[in-house]
Amino acid sequence: MSRALSWRAVVVWVLLAALPVLPFMSKFYLLLAFDALLFGAIAMSLDLLIGYTGLVSFGHAAFFGLGAYASAVLLERGIVSLWACLLFAVLVVGLYALVVSYFSTTRRGIYFALLTLIFAEVVYTFFRYTQTFGGSDGIQGVPPPRLVGGFAIDTPMRNYYLVLVYLGLAYLACRVLVTSHFGKVLVAIRENEDRARFLGYNVQRYKMAVCMISALLTGLGGALYPGRSAFATPDLMLWTVSGEFIIMVMIGGLGTLAGPVVGGAFFVLLQEKVSSYVDWYFIVIGLVLIFIVLFMPKGLLGIRELLGGRRWRATA
Amino acid sequence: MKRVTWGFTVLVAVAALVWISAPAVSQPKVVKIGDLGSKVGVFEGYGKYQTMGVQMAVEELNAKGGVLGHKIEIVSEDDETKPAPAVRKAEKLILQDDVKLLVGAVSSGATLAVMDVTKKHKTIHWNSVSCAEFMRTTKFHKYYFSNQPDSRMQANGLAKYIVDKMGKKVYIFYTDYAMGQSDGRQFKTALEKLGGEVVGVAGAPLDTKDFSPWFGAINQSNPDVLFVAFAGTDSLRLMTQLHSFGMTKKYKMAGIDCFLLQQDLPSIAEPMEGFVQLNHFSPYNPDPNMQAYNARFKKKFGTDANIAAGSYDAVLFWAAAVEKAKSFDPDKVSEAHEGMCVDNTHIGRQCIRKDDHQVVMDMHLYQVKGGKNLPIARIAGSDSIGEAMVGKDPVEGFTWEIKKK
Repeated sequence: MSRALSWRAVVVWVLLAALPVLPFMSKFYLLLAFDALLFGAIAMSLDLLIGYTGLVSFGHAAFFGLGAYASAVLLERGIVSLWACLLFAVLVVGLYALVVSYFSTTRRGIYFALLTLIFAEVVYTFFRYTQTFGGSDGIQGVPPPRLVGGFAIDTPMRNYYLVLVYLGLAYLACRVLVTSHFGKVLVAIRENEDRARFLGYNVQRYKMAVCMISALLTGLGGALYPGRSAFATPDLMLWTVSGEFIIMVMIGGLGTLAGPVVGGAFFVLLQEKVSSYVDWYFIVIGLVLIFIVLFMPKGLLGIRELLGGRRWRATA
Repeated sequence: MKRVTWGFTVLVAVAALVWISAPAVSQPKVVKIGDLGSKVGVFEGYGKYQTMGVQMAVEELNAKGGVLGHKIEIVSEDDETKPAPAVRKAEKLILQDDVKLLVGAVSSGATLAVMDVTKKHKTIHWNSVSCAEFMRTTKFHKYYFSNQPDSRMQANGLAKYIVDKMGKKVYIFYTDYAMGQSDGRQFKTALEKLGGEVVGVAGAPLDTKDFSPWFGAINQSNPDVLFVAFAGTDSLRLMTQLHSFGMTKKYKMAGIDCFLLQQDLPSIAEPMEGFVQLNHFSPYNPDPNMQAYNARFKKKFGTDANIAAGSYDAVLFWAAAVEKAKSFDPDKVSEAHEGMCVDNTHIGRQCIRKDDHQVVMDMHLYQVKGGKNLPIARIAGSDSIGEAMVGKDPVEGFTWEIKKK
């Protein structure tokens, strides 16, 4: 905990908290900052799987989308309490994640990745074709959630602070987790799963647990999304979105927590900027990714190594 | 280890702030308008022609001194044919670029999502391509205007001709998202009201590559007419595949206005031969307004215009409303729009109905012959527009159930 609350960390959080009052921060930049922090937090939660446990999930978009739908369904029906939305998202995503993680963690490597992908595609297809949830158009025009009483999260600034709190709590949870004994076991599983098993650890339970935690953090992020965008659509669950989450983690740096946050924010800003100038912006993003994989395999946080710092990736 | 990480994070954050704030520069005596459409993907053609229409209108208006003494500048963005990017780009156009008019999006799903943004941020929003029936009904707001005949208008115009001239037994095949579902629903409703029989319905996902799995059901129901509600590259693939199965010769075919752009027709002239389509523009329509518009368009872009010409009119309507309101204030401009008529649109004089902000647009039925959309009948806008249904559910009581006769 003390590591997470070092004075430099406090400076970063204070700077992030002060962001909305900076003179150039328009409403649009606040919305952009919302996206950057939201997807940064989701990339961070995915890093628990990819970076710390060595499990590549190609189905994280389903957790995000389910969280968004859970929230949107309540908001659409007039249940506008933020807490109800979050609770419902935890229930829905938790149930789904329980099933996915139970079956997926029985397999390793590419089979784990494929199982998560297939489960996510099933969920995507279900929402795509179910008119109760708006079919391919999803649920649109939902009202903003309320924190307490009549206090609605209906401005870019309020949404920004909400996502900042979410990021902060998610970061604390992830930091505590990866620095605990549990986190060490995850890294051990990543490094040598068989040896971890021989040492007496119930590997599948550990993998299931980290899958659940990662999924729930992602689902909570998804639950915040309709409050900012007023909709939830099946596109949010598409496998390409899962791919974007993985790219965010890789851009930032595997097994670093802070790296994927930077990677997520970088991806959102890059996407926003480049897509305003060229139609095929994914080519540019692809080139950036190729460059990072070839020359900066530890991601953006790997730059510090080039500058003479030490290795950062989590070790057992 | 941590020291450098947090320091680096701060560095990245500062760099990002500088980066995103770089272009925030305002220019005097310039008013910006936003063009939001599909630049890639299944609806790429519509988005590109929408942009061309906006460009032509802006060029003509700027040549006459702009609007309220302001030179008009266009900011174009790609909606990727999906709601999430469309919303993000609409927010960028409104909140960062400060556009006073937003034209778009192309896909109905994206436009419906963008309507929430334009409502929230009080921005004049013109739709010139999307046609889902919810836009001027349940999703309607005071800043929204449309000169695209929606599904209800198209169904009212097309169903009567089909029942009278083509056959009463119709199979409805639609693209399974907002636009296609809307077209299918409204067409079924209109057809059954006129005594026609829907012998089957099916929806195929957007961007379907292989339509043949649906062909068996179509053949089994043995319709007189195959009504198809697709658009863009979906339509191209569908017609090619129907033709290769001999079904374009077996059935009479009819479709919605955005089924294919005129530019696509020559490349699949044979499959499209005889296809009946309701449309508000064709370069082969002898109407002098259309011919004059097409000549100007062709001179500028080297190609014929198409139904995306509605975006040209949208800018003209907005500019006229701004001049009338003597202000860019969205509330005043919205009020100025209501009931307004403009004489020099791509099809001549058109007026906006005050009740639901829909342009009362005259249309033609066209039949494809030798890769050209040739007019076969005229349908007055007042006959097809239907009653205003702001706030009412346009699909109340609707069912996809097939009523056997």
